[in-house]
Order: sequence, then structure tokens, then C-alpha cells
Amino acid sequence: MNITVLYVGSSLLAPLKNAEQEINRVYDLNLRVAAYNFGSPLSDGEWAEVERDLAQANVVFVIHVMDGENASRLIQSLKTHKHDAVVVINCMPELMRHTRMGRLDIGSVSRWVPKFKADKKRKANHGHYLKLVNRLPKVLKFVPTAGAFTDAKHYLQLFCYFLQPTPSNIQSMLLYSLKHYVRDARLKRVKVLEVQQVPTVAIYHPDAPELFETFEAYEEWCAAKKQLALDRDSTLGLLLMRPQVVSKTTKHYDVLIRSIEAEGLSVIPAIATLMDNREAVSKFFVDNGKSRVSQIVSLTGFSFVGGPAMNDSAAASQFLRDLNLPYRSAVSLDTQTIEAWSDSATGLNPIQAGMQIAIPEIDGATEPFIYGGIPGRGQEPVALEDRCTRLARRLKRWHNLQTAPREQIKLAIVLFCFPPSKGNIGTAADLDVFPGVWDLLKRLKEEGYRVDVPENAEVLREQLLGGNSEQFGSTANLAYRMSPDEYRRLCPYVREVEGDWGAVPSKIPIQGISLANIFIGVQPTFGYEGDPMRMIMARSGSPHHGFMAFYTYLSKVFSADGVIHFGTHGSLEFMPGKQIGLSSECWPDRLIGELPNFYVYSVNNPSEGSIAKRRSYAELVSYLTPPIENAGLYKELAGLRDLVQAYRQSNSETERARLYASIEEVSSELHLN
Amino acid sequence: MSEIDSKQRDEKVFELYEQLLEIEQRLIPTGLHLFGRPSSAGEQIDLFKMIASFDRPEHGIRALPQELVEDAVREFLEHGSDAATRLLEGQGLKPESTRPVFALLESVSAKLQTNTEIDALIRAIRGEFIEPGPGADIIQNPDVLPTGRNTHAINPYSVPSAVAFARGEVVATSLLERYRNEHGRFPEAMALVLWGLDNIKTQGEGVAQALWLLGVQPVRDALNRSTSVAAIPLAELGRPRIDVVMTVSGIFRDLFSPTVQLLDKAVRLVAQLDEPLEQNYVRKHVHEQIAQERCELDDAAVRVFSNAPGNYGTNVNFMVMDSSWEREETLGDLFVTRKCFAYGRDSRGRAIDGREARVAMDRALSRVEATYQNIDTFEIGLTDVDHYFEYLGGVSKAVEKRARARPAIYLSDSLSREVKIRTLEESVRLETRTKTLNPKWYEGMLKHGFRGVAEIENHVSNTFGWSATADAVDDWIYAEVANTFLFDETMLERLRELNPHSAHALVQRLLEANGRGYWDADSTALEKLRDISRSLEDQLEGVA
Repeated sequence: MNITVLYVGSSLLAPLKNAEQEINRVYDLNLRVAAYNFGSPLSDGEWAEVERDLAQANVVFVIHVMDGENASRLIQSLKTHKHDAVVVINCMPELMRHTRMGRLDIGSVSRWVPKFKADKKRKANHGHYLKLVNRLPKVLKFVPTAGAFTDAKHYLQLFCYFLQPTPSNIQSMLLYSLKHYVRDARLKRVKVLEVQQVPTVAIYHPDAPELFETFEAYEEWCAAKKQLALDRDSTLGLLLMRPQVVSKTTKHYDVLIRSIEAEGLSVIPAIATLMDNREAVSKFFVDNGKSRVSQIVSLTGFSFVGGPAMNDSAAASQFLRDLNLPYRSAVSLDTQTIEAWSDSATGLNPIQAGMQIAIPEIDGATEPFIYGGIPGRGQEPVALEDRCTRLARRLKRWHNLQTAPREQIKLAIVLFCFPPSKGNIGTAADLDVFPGVWDLLKRLKEEGYRVDVPENAEVLREQLLGGNSEQFGSTANLAYRMSPDEYRRLCPYVREVEGDWGAVPSKIPIQGISLANIFIGVQPTFGYEGDPMRMIMARSGSPHHGFMAFYTYLSKVFSADGVIHFGTHGSLEFMPGKQIGLSSECWPDRLIGELPNFYVYSVNNPSEGSIAKRRSYAELVSYLTPPIENAGLYKELAGLRDLVQAYRQSNSETERARLYASIEEVSSELHLN
Repeated sequence: MSEIDSKQRDEKVFELYEQLLEIEQRLIPTGLHLFGRPSSAGEQIDLFKMIASFDRPEHGIRALPQELVEDAVREFLEHGSDAATRLLEGQGLKPESTRPVFALLESVSAKLQTNTEIDALIRAIRGEFIEPGPGADIIQNPDVLPTGRNTHAINPYSVPSAVAFARGEVVATSLLERYRNEHGRFPEAMALVLWGLDNIKTQGEGVAQALWLLGVQPVRDALNRSTSVAAIPLAELGRPRIDVVMTVSGIFRDLFSPTVQLLDKAVRLVAQLDEPLEQNYVRKHVHEQIAQERCELDDAAVRVFSNAPGNYGTNVNFMVMDSSWEREETLGDLFVTRKCFAYGRDSRGRAIDGREARVAMDRALSRVEATYQNIDTFEIGLTDVDHYFEYLGGVSKAVEKRARARPAIYLSDSLSREVKIRTLEESVRLETRTKTLNPKWYEGMLKHGFRGVAEIENHVSNTFGWSATADAVDDWIYAEVANTFLFDETMLERLRELNPHSAHALVQRLLEANGRGYWDADSTALEKLRDISRSLEDQLEGVA
């Protein structure tokens, strides 16, 4: 007996495979379940396999397919084969219509199932929807398994199993479909279990035997089992994807949770509905209007309100603004394998980049960090352990900025200078940098950060430009000169940089000035100046030693808690590496390391700004563009306008002729022809 | 004087009048922003007029009629919304149609009077939530206010929007008309520069223009995502399909990866349409190439090029700024070296994620007769940044060698009421007259002292970039730069006082322009420049 499942996501494969085994162990059905992840368009080769399986399938499940290309190929294919049943769940409308279950009209069950259709006017109201779904199994009991409603009942029954994809429910879903739609004597003795219910929202922890339905229960368990108090100053709120917790495919979550705990932080890992995180957040992360956590970290990879198929960003950002908690969105690879991502020079495929990065950004998310995924030959997501450690440490740093005494916090402010010359220090589109930096310093001091504020912005600039720069022949003051030994000791990438840039120079200059706990540095450029051979390479190399040493200095010598890049824009985020969904091999990821990154960025440049967000985990703080006015006319141009006006107003032919002569003369002087 | 002469004269004066009007009414940024401080604009009428001149169907706002906008906005600024609404009512405009415009202006005006950027940065450092916000010009999208927010891009599947697609048609048509007026026929092939910048802000107008040139329209799936394309019938199009080579910035490639697929799909679709070759230049060229080179469709239909994966930029700007090239064709070659990586999907459905395709790009560029880039903003112009010349200049220089003829080079403003196509030369002149040489502009910069001088120097260097890549700068422009900033004693003193480093760089750039043959300066001017250069050097070395 054959079942083919075409789905999008990362939580179904393992439960399906387990269900196949378990069913074959108990019943003599010789069941084969073929499952394909339809997350991204398939190649011809992959399609051939799908076709082969579709040709043999008794029952086909199509789940969460929203990609037009795969869908249209699938529709063609479904038309050519005859199946006992085709069960389409949560797909685009064209596919939903291809549901084939007896005499079922899919429209008749539409009240119960969510519509995966873009509709701006429809505000997400998934809480309501989930309550309906919770009631559904009870309602279904009263529907007779005969007559006009039979197939609708079966569809909804399968839908209920699918919605709570516990191992038992997935098994039941397969068995139920076979039992009711395949004619085979062997199925007579098959007994299908009732739907196993799982709470809509709950708290999960890998060390706990079961889910917690209340915060208090979880708190009690933490105190008893882990001797941990869950106070706000040491707790993060995590949002997990419900199907993965329900189906027990949580290895990636488990590692990340333990990595965060290893940093001395507690976590509240909440499962939310797939569609709306607000209920879980309100229930578990907030207590009487006061938050129990310092940050919210979504591990779902989807929009905060709306789930995978739509997004209500306005509702999301409003909710998060009211909560005033920073919101991070880290990504587990859903539609490509770890190997495919790791080998790819581009990183995340377009589908994930759109759904799991671009849309969460509109909700206000930062830290688009890849921490897990499904391995090539695996069936369930696993963690990328080193990335989990890195992410945990980044979250810890963010946490420190919130909770450490201000007078201990060290910040680096990074300015740009392109092309490198004293005259260009403070390069930034549309921004006069020094007065802004000086205002910021003053404000930081008022806020309790330790900083020596120079007399005024001019003095600040002179300190940075002058100082010992003449002595060293540098563009700016040298705050530090890093010895090769120290550089090698502190930076793990020196050998790779040497491969591109040769031996480490004897002393690496770090341009900048220290003002107590605030360091103001000048970011080195790409280093192409006077080196045309480097410019003509199709593929850029690593950052040069000076660049690498600059960021090594910030994090390891100055020991910054965070870095502020000031103005549009620098070079770090354009260093080679994956385009989106970076790995530990990517230079921007290596340079920024564990540092929280703030970026003062022009509001009219969302495109390069997005590169900074995605490739250097920057949180942008936008600035206004300069005032806009009409250019007006000036000098001889204004004179010419007067002549032209006089000409157009004059009725006298002689005067016009005279004016014309002047007009010709002035306009030719002005090169206006 | 004869009747005809007088008529011609009138026409010439009228043309001049229009040219002056174009300069006068061109919007320019004046000065620089100070982080955390409210906008310093004293006179906001120009900005508000522009905001009121935009249809905003998403907010139910209709643009005010062009002939009334000045008076209405003035009335608004002096006496408020009600007075302005009444004034327009007197002209027959219903209050319910004009009130939303003034409500918008009121909101913009209020938001410009405060500024919370530093507060936002401090809040970010303290670990509070920074609200997301769109990124655009104020005119395009007043929702960018207040600033101090975490700017985001857009959902790539949403482009091109219906509005962008409609506007794309107008621009594509005007562009082809302009070429036809100048050359007597349509161009068989064009090279387009596509950036993330304008396509985010306009929801894909640049993309829409490319699709229109090819004669295809986007097809949206059930989730309203543009994932496919359909050919617009030739009869409807009324002209041949143009072969379009798309050179795409690394940023566009990253932010619009589904769109890159869409554009590639469009080219492949058009290449395989069963149409007469003289009506479908993509098919014509692909056929020719397959016949000549006995290659596959997958080799002949490559048109979407960008950097190697994970790499950005053409480096043409670095080379120009660093003066490290000997022959201009090196700049075009460099453009191709950096940009010859193909993106899309082959005919068997396999992803092409940045395959090096130098030969294909050389071949595609060799047919190009015109190059083009869409500009969406007044805020970031041709000489404000080095990116326009590295891209549009770079591709044009690359075409010049490969097609053995300099292409016609065009730009358009998508932020104006009327679509206007300009040649590069016209655009450089307009940019120079309205910005670099305009006291309103440079005095606005010099208010910022040190940084202002650096900005002036950068503008001159970026102008120089248009000489290096496209030979598009008139002699008089360099001469006037020298007159305005260096041969005026008072001005020179100001510059050397405020920022001698940048003043020196400015002189050096002018001397380089002469040395490379872009500026035929007279010997007196050159002598003066050399003197100024020496004295600045002395100043910088502390001799004088």
C-alpha cells in the first residue's frame, strides 16, 4: 500500500517515517510512505521521482504547498493519475480544489479550515479559529458516518489529526485515510485511535517530562528541578513552532535552549499556534502588564502574526511596541538541507529569504541568525551547535546591555572615511557626523555611561584627526598598535587573511580615540587604494589585516559590549560570504562576532540598510534626510530668466529682437542651447 | 525680420524658458542632517508642494491639480488646513477630496518639528524595542516619519506592484520613443541597471520597466505573489519586444532573489515565443547566436547578470577614485569582470546561482544600443554618490568596446509628475547646475564646515566619474567648478580654512580631469590650479 505526502516544512518527515514503521510493525499492510519537501521548486530529476511515487500511490496528502511552480506541475500530475483519495490541507486555493475524497465538495468544509489566500483586509483572528478547531473533534462525534456528510466528516477528521501532529495522530491520520478510502480486506481489522489533544499554547522544556500549561507550573518545575528562579533580569522568552514540539522533533530547540542556559540565562520556551504568537506571549511572557523576560526570540522563522502564508505586520509591531521588548527572529532551515545551505555561496534560498527573513523584518525582528536545519540524509531538524553557542552569546550580550550597570558598559562608535583621507573622516550620506556623535556622547553621559565628552564637536574631530596621527603618518589618531603576536592570539582567522593579504604587518594601527568607556574608531576601507590588482578580482578576498585587527581590537582589547556604526555606510556588511543566512565561514559574521550592532542609517536607503541588517545583524536606527527645496535660479541664470520673461511679455517686435540678441548671448555663455 | 524667423525665435525662447523652469523647480537637498535634531528647513513650501502633488491611492489621497498646488500649499502654511480647503472649494474642488491632502501635510509638518533619533538610539542600546518603519524619501512615502526606527525592506514577492507596473509602461514607452526620435527606429537591445534602492521605494518600477521592454506582464499566484510571467500579445504591445540585458546590483540580487528568477523567466519566455524575428529581438538574437555558435538556449538566453555570489559592487568607483587606470576601456572590462555572473534557472529547472558567464555577457552587451537606469529620488542624484557612475557608466563603457559604438545613455525620474527621459549628458548638466554650481546647494553644504567641503569635493569627483566612464561631462562644467570654488579668492580661503584636505583633493581632481583629456583647460587656468595645489600642500605639511 502506498501513501505519498507532498509537504512544506521540517516537522513532518520524521513522524511520517516513524508512523510507517509502526504501522508495518502492527499491521500487515506493507505500507510505503514516500514524502517530499515541496519547500522550493523541484528539479526535473526530483520530479521524476515524485511522478513515480504518485503513479503508485493509493492516497496522496498535499500539505502547506504554496509555491506556484510546484503546484502547477502537481496539478497536472494529479489529473493524470487515479488515486483512492487526495487530501489537500492548508494549500493554495488551486490545489485545495483538487481534494478528492468520495463526493466531498471542499467548499463545504471551508468554514473549518483556514484560507491560505492573501487578503489585506482580513485581519488575523486565529485565536477564534483555534478554538473552533479544539471543539471540532467533539462536534464530529455527532456527525453520522453515512450520508451526505460522510466525506466532509472524514476530511475534518484527518485535518484534526494533522493539526496535532503527535506521533500517534500522524499514524492515525495515515490509517484513517487508508481505512476509509482504500478497498482492501486487510484494512478491516485496522483500529484508528481518537485524536490525541495537545494544549494550544504551552511551555516546553527538553528536561521536563511534559508540556506546562501554565507559567506557574513551569516556574515550580524550574525551582524544583533546576534550582532556577525565573526573574526578568535573567530570563529570555523563546517562541517555538508548535508542530515541531507536538511531533517531538525538537533536537534543534533542545541544543539552543541548553546553549542559552550555559550562558547563565533562563528561558521560557513557549509553543504558540502556528498563526499567532500573541496569545502565548501574553500568557507566558507577561505578568499583569509586567514582562517576565528581557527579549523575545522567535525560533519559528515566520511572521509574528499570520504564520507562514500571510502576515499582519501592523498588528505585530504594535503588539511588540506596547510590550517594548526587543524581538529577534532566528532561523532553522526549512526548505533546504544543512548541506545545501552550507555548500551554497548564496545561503538561504529565495523562498526562505522571503518568508523567514524579509517578513519577520517588517515585524521589527533583528538577528536573522541560522541555528539549525535538516541534514541531507536526516529526517528531522538538528542544531548547528557552534551557531547555537554563538547565538546564545549574542543574546547574552544584548542581555548585558539591558541589565549591566551603565557605568560598566563599553561602547564602540565606528565612523567611516572614504576615500581614505583626513578630509573624508566622518563619511556618511546626508549626515554631518561629528555634531551628532558629540550630541550622542553628551546624552550617553547623562544616561549614566562613563564617557569623557570633549568640549564640542570641533574638538572631538580635532582629537580624532590630530593626536599622534602626524607622528605615524596616519589618517587619524592611533588608539592602539596591535602586535602580530597579540593579533594571532586573539583572532582565529589570521591564517586565512594571510592567504589573501600576505604576512601580518609588524604593528597593526587601530585608528580612533578612547573617551573613557566609549571608543570612537575609524573603520578601515577595503584596502584597494593603490592596488589595482585587487580591484580587478571578480571575487573579493577576505578583509585585510587592518580591518580584521580593528574588529578584533573592539571585541577583545577594548572589550566593547556593543558597537554603533554611525552613518550610511561602511564596508563590513559587504565583505564576502553568503548573501543571506550567514555561516561561521562568512567574513561579516566573523568580524561582528558576538557584538550587538546598532547602525545609524539614512531612512531613504532601505536597500543597503537591509544588507547591514542581514549580513551584520544590525539594528538600524533611521535618520532623516536633509531639507528639500527647489534649486531656484542664481547668478546669470536668474538674469537670463528675467530676459526670457521680458521677451515673452513684450509686444514690440523691435524690443523682442533686441532681447533675443541678449538672450542668445547670455544663454550661450551659460552653455544653454 | 521675417515671420518664420520670428516664429523660430519664439520657439527657441520657449524651449529656453522650459529649460530654466526645469532647473528652477528641480528639488535638491540643501545641507546635511544633524542626527537627533529636527529638520532645519525654514522654507518647507517646496517639499509640501511635492508631497501634495502625489496620488496616494493606498491612503485615498488624490494629488492636487498642478495649477492650484502652489496657492493651496501657501494658504495651508499661512492659514491652515481649513483655509486651504476653502480656497480649493472656491475652485470647484470638493472638500472631502482635498482634506486628506492637508491632513497628510499637517502630520508631516508636526513630525518634522520633533526628532527622537537619539532617544531611539539610546533606547536601542538599553535593549528596548525599536519599531520597524519603511524606507523611502519623504515625498514618496511620508510614513518614513518619524525617523529613529528600524528601517525594513519589502516582501520581494510583492513587486512589481500594480501601480509600479502601470508607471513602468509609461516610462518604457517614453524611453523607446525618445530613442526612436533620435535614431529613427527602436533599439534592438538595451542594458538596464537594476538596484534595490529604487525598486524597494517604488515597489518595483525598475523591474516593471524591464518587463515592459520585453513585453511581458507579471502573473500573481493565489497568495498574490509575482511568481510567473505572461507575454503581452504583439498586437497589444504595438512594437517589437526589446532584448534587455539586466545588470543587477548585488543588493538587488539579495533583496529580490525571487524577482531575479522572474526576470530570467521573462527573458526565456520571450525567447521561445513563436513570433516574427523582426518583432521579437530577444528571439532574433537568441536564434542568431544558436545558429552561429551551435550552442543551447541556456547559453544564448542569459540576460540577468550580477556579482559573484556574496560579492558586491563593480569596483569601477574604487578604480576611478584611486586614479589607478590607464585606458578607459579598463573600467568597462572591470565592470564585466565583476558583473558577469548569471542568475536564474536553466531550461531543466535547475537554479543558476551566480555562474560565471563572461562570454555570454560579452555577447549580450555587444548588441546593446542604449543603456538606461531609473532614478526614483531627488535625494540621491547622479553626482551625490559614486554608485551611479560605477553602474550606468560602467555598463556603458563595457558596451562601447563590445558593440564598437558608444550606446545612447538615458535616465528617467520616476518621482516627477511627468515622466521625463533625459540623456546622461543632459542629466549631468542638470545635476551640476542645480547642485554643484548652485549657491543654494553649496552654501547649504558649507554651513556644515569641514564635512561640507568634503561633500563638494565628492560631487566633483563623482562628476569626474562620468567623464571616465561615459565621457559625458562638458568642458564648461570643469571650468565653472574651478571658477566657483578655486578662482574666487574668498571661496578658496573658506575652503582651505574649513577643510584643506578636501580642498586639495578637489584641485587634484581638476588637474586629473585635464591630464586625462576630459577638460580642455587653458594654460592660465592650469597654472593657477597648480599654484593653488602647491600652496595647499604647503599648508597641509605645515610649511606655510
